[in-house]
Amino acid sequence: MKTRSGKAMTKLFHDLPLPETPEGNEQARREAAARVRAYQRRALRGVWYLVAFLGVSLAVQQWFSHLPDFPPSARQLLGLPPSPKMISGLLIVYSFSALILILGRMTTGNGAFSGLPHVGYLVVFYLFYHVAHALDDNFHAVLAAGITILSLESYHVWTWNQERIRQEKQHIIRLDRMREWKKG
Amino acid sequence: MEMSLSARAIVPVTITVTGFVVVCCLLLYQAIKQDMIQDTVRHETALAQTVVRSTRYAMLKSDRATVQNIVTTVGSQQDVEQVRIFNKRGVIMFSSRPGELNRQVDRNSEGCIICHGGATPLATMGSMQQARRYQNDRGETVLAITAPIYNESDCFTATCHLHSASQKVLGTLDIGLSQKNLQASLAALRSRMVLFSVMVLFLTVVGVSALLRRSLFQPLQRLTSYALELAAGQGDSEPPELNDELEIIGRTLKELAESSVKNSGKISRP
Repeated sequence: MKTRSGKAMTKLFHDLPLPETPEGNEQARREAAARVRAYQRRALRGVWYLVAFLGVSLAVQQWFSHLPDFPPSARQLLGLPPSPKMISGLLIVYSFSALILILGRMTTGNGAFSGLPHVGYLVVFYLFYHVAHALDDNFHAVLAAGITILSLESYHVWTWNQERIRQEKQHIIRLDRMREWKKG
Repeated sequence: MEMSLSARAIVPVTITVTGFVVVCCLLLYQAIKQDMIQDTVRHETALAQTVVRSTRYAMLKSDRATVQNIVTTVGSQQDVEQVRIFNKRGVIMFSSRPGELNRQVDRNSEGCIICHGGATPLATMGSMQQARRYQNDRGETVLAITAPIYNESDCFTATCHLHSASQKVLGTLDIGLSQKNLQASLAALRSRMVLFSVMVLFLTVVGVSALLRRSLFQPLQRLTSYALELAAGQGDSEPPELNDELEIIGRTLKELAESSVKNSGKISRP
């Protein structure tokens, strides 16, 4: 439970022993209920990051065109910006890689979540297009890439946590049956 | 909220394929649009140079009637919005629209400010810098090119003229072409890309659904029905014909049900 790795969490759940004493049973039940609440919170993380990205995109669309351009000295120091075609090529490569990595995690049952880095990378794409004076033409492409990547990431993290919640609820049912059996 | 197996299989495929196709289509559309605009600007720059060279001899001879005739003829072509020649002070000397002759143009207006924005006017600039876009009275987009008319040796050595050798630019030619056809082509391209995206999405979702239904969901449904029959005590029926892995599960379920019946018989025996 301490690590971000989904594999470690799954292994920990399957290794949980059924307690022998009523106190142990109650303790295990409370811990399982706490884990269910934690998984419920984590299941929505993807949606929050998607909402955050949409908010950032709205701000970019509203305010980036009003931002002052870099002063000539800063432009000279930074050099020429990459061409819009080069940035677009990178955006395709990035989107493809991100989607493949998320699908890979879905296939292997890895529950790791990488919403924040994706929001960061997408904001960098907005910045690069802005510096290359091509943001107006390519804003919707970055927006579509962000929505796709973060939607898939949200879906993955949601289904992965729902699966863990289902397992924890089954564990609670086993604990309840154990308690009833001990009483009987 | 529990999702069905088919929804779990189709949702990620739909998100991935739709999103990636939309991103690629948007970027491809922008790339094609930029290429088409650059081609139009190149074509228009070449046209502007043709007009400048065509009028050069008449200008050397100070033959104003011929220059005006060339400007009017070029301006009467289809899709040519306007052709104007300005002198150094920004006065329209020749125009395809007779009403605007001798009118002074504001240096801060679009098309002039590109060169006159700084303290010293620019003498040279790239073809994309020379281009500007605006909407005409009919709401059509017009792409205009402002091409400088440079001072050449035979201009300042000619007996009839007063240009000094230090003067780099004698005036400018402004030519605008309607972008109606370009906009129509881009609109057709957009429609085709939307159609292509919808077709890819439809084929992907229907294809994946059909494959999963045929090879997984229908066999699973038959196996579930068989398991329910066994649970209801109808253990004598044979497992349905399924693909390899599912058929093994079906046979194992039958064996389990049979051994369960045998064991219950042993337990109930006194």
